[in-house]
Amino acid sequence: MTATAARPADAGTDRPESLPAKALRVLLTQRTALLVVLLVAVLVTMTTLSRRNYLTAPYDTGYLAATLINAVPLVMLGLAELLVITSGRGGIDLSVGSIVSLTGMVFGFAYGLWGWPLPAALLLAVVFGGLCGAVNGALVAYLGFPALITTLATYYAFSSLALVVNRQQPINSEPVQQLYSAAAAVDLPLLPEAFPRVPLGVFTFLLPTALLVWVVLARTTWGRRLYAVGTNDVAARWAGIDVRRTRFSAYVAAGAISGLVAVVTVAQFASARPDAGTTGNGMALPAITIAVLGGVAITGGIGRVGGVVLAALLVVWLNAGILLAVPGNAGAQFQLLSLGVVLVVAALLNGVATRRYGGTS
Amino acid sequence: MTATAPPAPAHGAPSRGRVLPPPVTGQEVVLVALIAVLWLVLGLATPAFLSAGSIVPLLVATAPVALIGIGMTVVIVTGGIDVSVGSTVMVSAVVVATTMVATGVPLPAAVALSVAVGGLLGLVNGVLIAYGRVHAIIITFGTLNLFRFIGLRVFDSSTVEGIPATLAVFGRGEAGRTLGVPHSFAITLVLAAAAWWYLRHTAGGRHFYAVGGDAHAARLAGVAVRRRVLSAYVLTGVLAGLAACFVLAQGTSSLAANVGSGTELAVIAAVVIGGTSITGGRGSVLGTVLGALLVQTVATGVTQLGWPSQLSALFVGVSIVVAVGTDLIRQRTRRSS
Repeated sequence: MTATAARPADAGTDRPESLPAKALRVLLTQRTALLVVLLVAVLVTMTTLSRRNYLTAPYDTGYLAATLINAVPLVMLGLAELLVITSGRGGIDLSVGSIVSLTGMVFGFAYGLWGWPLPAALLLAVVFGGLCGAVNGALVAYLGFPALITTLATYYAFSSLALVVNRQQPINSEPVQQLYSAAAAVDLPLLPEAFPRVPLGVFTFLLPTALLVWVVLARTTWGRRLYAVGTNDVAARWAGIDVRRTRFSAYVAAGAISGLVAVVTVAQFASARPDAGTTGNGMALPAITIAVLGGVAITGGIGRVGGVVLAALLVVWLNAGILLAVPGNAGAQFQLLSLGVVLVVAALLNGVATRRYGGTS
Repeated sequence: MTATAPPAPAHGAPSRGRVLPPPVTGQEVVLVALIAVLWLVLGLATPAFLSAGSIVPLLVATAPVALIGIGMTVVIVTGGIDVSVGSTVMVSAVVVATTMVATGVPLPAAVALSVAVGGLLGLVNGVLIAYGRVHAIIITFGTLNLFRFIGLRVFDSSTVEGIPATLAVFGRGEAGRTLGVPHSFAITLVLAAAAWWYLRHTAGGRHFYAVGGDAHAARLAGVAVRRRVLSAYVLTGVLAGLAACFVLAQGTSSLAANVGSGTELAVIAAVVIGGTSITGGRGSVLGTVLGALLVQTVATGVTQLGWPSQLSALFVGVSIVVAVGTDLIRQRTRRSS
């Protein structure tokens, strides 16, 4: 965008950059650095408040580990948005929440009512989520629909189907309710007693997904193709990349991840709820917020797994602290405030970084 | 894209052919036909549909979405988007409701307050987007949360009860109609007509299209891009504030915290079904009003046919795909011919 703009950082060979200036540049241009600093600030502030008894409950490692259960759907859907937004041409997916609702119902039918074994039902959820994503991908990549509109339309369609398919009734039969215990916190073997109890979902769903997306983006040709398509799809096409297929597969992957989140949500609520992903603000808006906060450029071609994970951790642990500092309903309200402020400030910082240093990474 | 979004009308250059797009686009003709067919079919299927008792509530329910849609059309024409309108409606509604309960303000003051609150929130969006140079969707996702926070604080964890009937002139009851025409829908139509004329026939209006077609070129051509962008969001906020009065008038004497949620998606759906290009530079307010009418017709029709009301969202989704699809096909055939 501003490729011709002078970059003081690069031109500083004859005059060495001062340390504060360098720190500022790193903070503004390296999103992960900024997030780490913010994360440390939140943890230090909250722990200090906790030590001085300003909070209603201790803000310790056990509490932090327990709140990680909230990070599971947030990180996974944030990664889904990362893939879609990075694919470029206004890529965005408003429908992830309704895919979670619909796939959750399908999973509920298969596992809770038809008596499918868990692995088969899990596979069905992933495949079904992928199919929902394929509807988005086909419309966006092959027919040239704008992504915002397409996923708005499928948001309506999927959420409506999820409500209608079981007449608005949740599915909470015996097997579905037993899933809940599988999502509870566990003591891990091999780790010392003192290590905090981390929810199992972090190990069974979050870490594998994050690792897989990281490997695919950073270590495979598909990942390089996705970044190329997102940065400049005309150039990518002339370089011999199948732009449509790459973009299509990004939407399919986002749908498949949403399918996995559906299983997590069903286990967490011990019930397949037809409005699981669409109540209130829904799941899509927080997921997009996390992705943007994590440094994913809305224009495509830029975005890292580490940034998304850090952004989700920041929001989850900040929210956990707010719940202790502001008791009652007001706590949930201040969470909205913090999310909004953090997002707007991060976006404005991105703008400053672009003007001053010619871009972020 | 820019071919259909010329700058100010070139006076004294008739030989260069048509400068403005046609007053009524193909999309709007299709929409009128579709709504007519739907009304006819619904009238035949359920005779109660084509009666005043059914049409008036339909028009009243269309009004808020169509009204905000006018502003959203301008925002999307400039290449932006505003996903915070639902929260703006919520804040305006709760501020006005609590004020009416506390002091019993008269109608003009209530409307003025609601419009002022909406305009202020729109100003926040506009300043951040125009001067922060950040993509509109990110800023409005952020302000969506901020405005919700403000609204919930005013609600103070409960509902507002005992709202007086000050705003009944905008409601669906007897007080809300003159000669059978609901006031809220009439006001929406008048404002839509004014916006249509302004956008199409004044230099200022064409500037919005210029900004959406190519902001850089528009700036070089002397358009005050930032001021245009800012005013688009303020306009949307003002209209969302007025729409909040309509929403209050349609409701009961109590107001819950979920007021306005989902409005942003309904409004964007109406704008898109009306043929406005999401990439900016092309669109019309007329289509947006028709889009809102179509969406509400589908919702009313689904309930009157006795189908589960949740199905209407499915039809809205399909309508969006069909509307955008036909528009894409028309663009392609035009380009190839």
